[in-house]
Amino acid sequence: MTADTLVITSESAELARLRSWLGEQLSVRGLDSHARSALQVAVGELATNAIKHAYGGRAGHPIHVSVASREDGVVIHVEDFGKPFDPALYHEPNLDELNEHGLGLYIAHRLADEFSFDLARERGTRWTLVKYQTGTNPERSA
Amino acid sequence: MDIEVTQTGAVTLVVPKGDLDMATADQMKRTLSDLIEKGQSKLVMDLTRVAYVDSSGLGALVAAMKQARAAGGNLKLCSLQEDVRSIFEMTRLIKVMAVHSDRQEAVASW
Repeated sequence: MTADTLVITSESAELARLRSWLGEQLSVRGLDSHARSALQVAVGELATNAIKHAYGGRAGHPIHVSVASREDGVVIHVEDFGKPFDPALYHEPNLDELNEHGLGLYIAHRLADEFSFDLARERGTRWTLVKYQTGTNPERSA
Repeated sequence: MDIEVTQTGAVTLVVPKGDLDMATADQMKRTLSDLIEKGQSKLVMDLTRVAYVDSSGLGALVAAMKQARAAGGNLKLCSLQEDVRSIFEMTRLIKVMAVHSDRQEAVASW
């Protein structure tokens, strides 16, 4: 499984470049437009989370995004080297309230078919997203 | 992000062009807040030319909607692209925000 990787820095102006690159990567790998859009939002949320929280809004720090094909879809890693995600501090948003904040990880999670994070690292967090090609996920096509 | 603002009777029409993300959310929030503070709290936002909205963009719209409602108005949305609409549905904002199919319907709803 060969992966293609983009490194951006922790500035919001980099997010458009990330979306553009990711869209091309996913198009080459045969994902339809809805899956591409979903993953652009999901990966954008994780990169935004890294900028805001892992790096505390400080510019110039690296965020690595890699995309690889697998038989049933694609796997994407989003990796930062800042303050690690603390799952104990995360609360799923109450969608019956009008939320101005706290929706990013919820959206990223919902848009992926598989969603996980790895904290067993020297620094930072590595998020993993999997998106199945249409029709290859038996649970969702049932 | 380009944001066109025009007045249609008592309704202020806001037409952004571009992606509504962390890079542009503050600009959007500031634009809407300035309008509301000037007394233009009956707002319609046409999202025809917005193909991407993330949580930062949603946050800006929710903040503006709250501010507009507190001032006696509202922020009504229209013409959402399919992928944008799905984000509003996923977060259930589609139920609490006024969302119309097109500009004419949204303006007429005032």
